[in-house]
Amino acid sequence: MRENGSRYGGLERMLYQVCGFILLLALWQIAGKSGIGGKTLPALTDVLRVYGVSWRRALLLRAAVATTTSAGLGLLLGATLGCITAITAKRIPALAPGLNRLAVVVNALPAIALGPVLIITAGRQATPALLAAIPVFFLIYVAGSSGLSSADGRLEQYFKASGASWWKRFVYLDSISALPALLNGMKLAVTTAMIGAVVGEWFGAPTGLGIVILNTMQNFQIPLMWAAVIVVAGISLTGYGVLGIVERAVQRRMA
Amino acid sequence: MSTIELKGVSKEFRISRDKRVMALSAMDLSIREGEFVALLGPSGCGKSTILHLVAGLDEPSTGAVLVDGLPPAQLQAKQQLGIAFQEHALLPWRTVEGNLELPFQIAGREPDRKQIADLIELVGLKGFETARPSQLSGGMRQRVSIARALCLSPKLLLLDEPFGALDAVTRRFMNLELQRIWQEKQITTILVTHTVEEAIFLADRVLVMSGRPGRVIRELQVPFARPRNVETMRREEFHHLVDDLTLCLEP
Repeated sequence: MRENGSRYGGLERMLYQVCGFILLLALWQIAGKSGIGGKTLPALTDVLRVYGVSWRRALLLRAAVATTTSAGLGLLLGATLGCITAITAKRIPALAPGLNRLAVVVNALPAIALGPVLIITAGRQATPALLAAIPVFFLIYVAGSSGLSSADGRLEQYFKASGASWWKRFVYLDSISALPALLNGMKLAVTTAMIGAVVGEWFGAPTGLGIVILNTMQNFQIPLMWAAVIVVAGISLTGYGVLGIVERAVQRRMA
Repeated sequence: MSTIELKGVSKEFRISRDKRVMALSAMDLSIREGEFVALLGPSGCGKSTILHLVAGLDEPSTGAVLVDGLPPAQLQAKQQLGIAFQEHALLPWRTVEGNLELPFQIAGREPDRKQIADLIELVGLKGFETARPSQLSGGMRQRVSIARALCLSPKLLLLDEPFGALDAVTRRFMNLELQRIWQEKQITTILVTHTVEEAIFLADRVLVMSGRPGRVIRELQVPFARPRNVETMRREEFHHLVDDLTLCLEP
């Protein structure tokens, strides 16, 4: 009975979410059509019409592929470095305080200040991916560190009493116990990677959604600008959603 | 098989800067090879501390713990220690079979399929090989725990209230099962428990402990021959001993 109740509760919650979303879109439409939001807030239908024009669709698709590739590379690079650093801090606890400070410092560097430096040192092509990688590195380092020390205390005792080496314990216990926290971190990292990539493109990448947003803003192509922003949000949310599904599947498996 | 020797062992825990608790004080204990010893006492009497010291999970503050004349860490490193806790401590993401492969993997050995199958049968879990811990009852999980403790044919078996989280009926049944399993292996065993019947039914020798600081206040050589069964629990002598030790435990 309770199961039915909770399932009903889930449905109800989803209904509220959908309603809220529709309400928001409706308000946008009204605000755009009536001109309350000024010239820079077009009606939703005007923005959607952009996707119907084939050359604009092609432009957005090309830009989306470039931005997603940069974000994906940044995600991969940041996550790999974050994991390696977290494992190092776990393996050599004496290094942990220093690595914590390093991660905080790296994360504190503002992208706006770092962008020009990266353009000069790494080049226009690589800057978006690198700017995406920095916040990802920090998130995954933090998530990985807490995940790696989240193993059940009794299991830790069992491994110790069984004479497990550090490596065996890492392979069979710590790494797997870290998965839920790590996936939670990855879920958040996807959105920050997209932001990093878009900002990185502003410093002069050859192509990408960031470039489209920047150009349309300067040329006052407002509906196209909004259309590009929606694509960025869509990609972020899709990544967030997919990792959320993976996270739930892993949690179920580990319960 | 192993002999265990505790010589003048005490253990102090620091609670805060200037507060310490004496968990064990000047403890002497010697356990014969192949002997089943039960440590009986209320919670906080230091009985689990003894188990942790023998398992090498803790270091004594003074004195020495020796297993076969060596510090427990050596037994630990050779994977000759089987241990089962009150809470099952199984890997939740692995099946019953997978959990029994773990001791082999930790030891860097190829899992012995035959032995795993035999152990699953011994603890009465045939047909549940592919079930995960969350799909098993509390009693079944403890069976897996005990099977896992026996995987590498350990020289020493340490049981820390293995049935403490089970209901009385299941617990009694598990006692009968453990008695049957132990009868087949006869490994040197330390059982930590706070149930009088369990201690008397399973052990060759029962040490009754009292807390703060932990010490042995009574030692009982259990007179019942093995194999023991339900009949043993019904004997008048059994009830007398239970009453006797229960009285001993009262503050």
